[in-house]
Amino acid sequence: MRETRFGSFVPVLFALVAIWLWFGITEPAFLSPRNFYFLFMQSAVVGTLAVGITVVLLLGDIDLSAAATAGVCAALMAVLIVAGVPGIPAALIAMALGVVMGLCQGMLVSYVGIPSFVVTLAGLLGFQGLMLKILGIQGAVNMRDPIIRGITTVSLPPLLGWLIGSACVLIFITVILTIQRRRKAQQLELESTGALFGQILFFAVLVLGTVAMLNSYRGVPLLVILLLSLTALLGWITTSTPFGRALFAVGGNAESARRVGINVKRIRVAAFAIVGLMAAIGGIVGASRYASVSFNAFAGGPLLLEAIGAAVIGGTSLFGGRGSVWNAILGALVIGSLGNGLDLSGASAADKLMFSGAILLLAVAIDAVSRNGANQST
Amino acid sequence: MISEAADKAGRSAPPAHLSVGNINKRFGGVQALDGVAFEVARGEVMALVGDNGAGKSTLMKILAGAYVADEGDFSLDGNRISINSPQDATALGIQIVYQDLALCENLDVAANLSLGAEPVKPGWRFLPRFLRPIDDLLMEKKALQAIDQLEVRTLKSVRAKVGGLSGGQRQAIAIARAVGADSSVVLLDEPTAALGVVQTRQVLDVVKRLRDTDHAVVYISHNLRDIFEVADRITVLRHGANVGTWQTSQTTPDEIVVAMTAGVTTGSNHAA
Ligand SMILES: Nc1ncnc2c1ncn2[C@@H]1O[C@H](COP(=O)(O)OP(=O)(O)O)[C@@H](O)[C@H]1O
Ligand SMILES: [Mg+2]
Repeated sequence: MRETRFGSFVPVLFALVAIWLWFGITEPAFLSPRNFYFLFMQSAVVGTLAVGITVVLLLGDIDLSAAATAGVCAALMAVLIVAGVPGIPAALIAMALGVVMGLCQGMLVSYVGIPSFVVTLAGLLGFQGLMLKILGIQGAVNMRDPIIRGITTVSLPPLLGWLIGSACVLIFITVILTIQRRRKAQQLELESTGALFGQILFFAVLVLGTVAMLNSYRGVPLLVILLLSLTALLGWITTSTPFGRALFAVGGNAESARRVGINVKRIRVAAFAIVGLMAAIGGIVGASRYASVSFNAFAGGPLLLEAIGAAVIGGTSLFGGRGSVWNAILGALVIGSLGNGLDLSGASAADKLMFSGAILLLAVAIDAVSRNGANQST
Repeated sequence: MISEAADKAGRSAPPAHLSVGNINKRFGGVQALDGVAFEVARGEVMALVGDNGAGKSTLMKILAGAYVADEGDFSLDGNRISINSPQDATALGIQIVYQDLALCENLDVAANLSLGAEPVKPGWRFLPRFLRPIDDLLMEKKALQAIDQLEVRTLKSVRAKVGGLSGGQRQAIAIARAVGADSSVVLLDEPTAALGVVQTRQVLDVVKRLRDTDHAVVYISHNLRDIFEVADRITVLRHGANVGTWQTSQTTPDEIVVAMTAGVTTGSNHAA
């Protein structure tokens, strides 16, 4: 987790670049700014869910109900808005509902001791039913609230995009150099200057390149800023706080974590609450993006599997204890790029499914092999 | 003759620091501990010996709060206490090196050493403690200090993942974790099982240093030569029950082996 800041990024980033190059060559439209804009927007819901799912995967648990939870929360928000509740309170209520749904599942896993696979499978079925109940006979509710719609339709003016991008780069540089200076002052092991500048360069190119690309179409979408801020917050919580450390410890060795005094049950409940919250946010984003809440957009379709796939493709282990929420975003982009590129090249639905299956299998195989490698050294 | 020695141990024993009695622990149909009494004084190394399955680890885990005894009386410096969780034991100053080490292989050395008690940066008071930023640098410094004490020279970095370390290095880290914390009682459950000659020597030195700094040390091992070198007293368990307690200076390895394997039928006594 601390070896190098971007160490675990590399495999998924390579995969992403390879996919972009491939489609860039075969389908010239793929690398256009316009297509990138849609790629980001299309990957947003999957990415939000994947970030949440990563948190429970770190524990070695799984959440099969995330997409259904998103559907229930989106449906509740839509129905509330139709009933006259303003957009923001309706969204907050939906988020609270997501947390409660996650809490309930987490308690069943922690305190009753049912495996998370079973609890959330039951949740998947039950919540799908609940969603249908909330949506009523038509099975879909339109979303016209301007604030909710604005989440996915507003883009920042180019100048603001540049300002935010540059601010991020500056903050990154300051933080990295401050850490290095403090380590030096305390005579701790230092990162090599080359690695340091490599990281800064990498980050700057990534951020400013993305801004440039998005600015040459409609500007940086508000949604991208919101999602990256959320991911940054969760990334910070999972890697830099005692709570996050406990997540990794429980995923690595739950009995050891218990014996050093970590409250394993409470950690687990908290993780499920977080995935519930992220699912609700994903639901809100989805409702905004599709301008409606329908059963098929959340529950019947491939959303859940794409979200779990994104987390795993990002390098988060299904066996617990290893992974990163940032990688989930990259994993979502991999899945989104594949779908988008295959669409552009006119691939059939059959080809798309088989391709996605192969990529997922590859990611899980890499996970299993690297886990075996780690175990053989014992 | 055996009982005489055991009686002597009782009379000349220093006042107990941690003392437990009448400990019962059952796992399903297995009576792992049956009315066991045990004690250790400050500035003393108490060895705990017995065949595999005698209940040594179970007793240690109960003292460390990892298991809760079905029954038992606990006291620290004569005051009644109860140990119902690892947090209780830590708060009472009891530290343990588990037989299985209890490390998280996916975390680095420094993270393992402060696991469950990570130092957080000052300020950030508006956040609950578990959401405040960990003070990484302080954590690393502490880890370096703890590791230096044990002179694990082969360990290159405290930022290396434990999963990539050798058995001996892991053992050293588990020991460093227990020794580095504030404590008055240190329990070591077969700490030299994975170690070579040189490293075993280092662990024995650590044990002696703990005794010299007035800790109460419990040392479990199957190596009687090591035990006769470091222990002041020896408690023998057999089939989950006390056989007796001896002053090391007044017994012989042969006598201990007999006690471990055949038990003592008459007049045995644990030091009270
Ligand atoms: N968690 C457990 N569940 C069931 N039985 C256990 C457990 N821990 C220990 N035992 C049993 O308790 C007895 C004592 O084991 P242990 O304390 O590990 O012995 P020792 O450390 O002296 O070798 C053994 O019979 C063992 O099988
Ligand atoms: Mg044992």
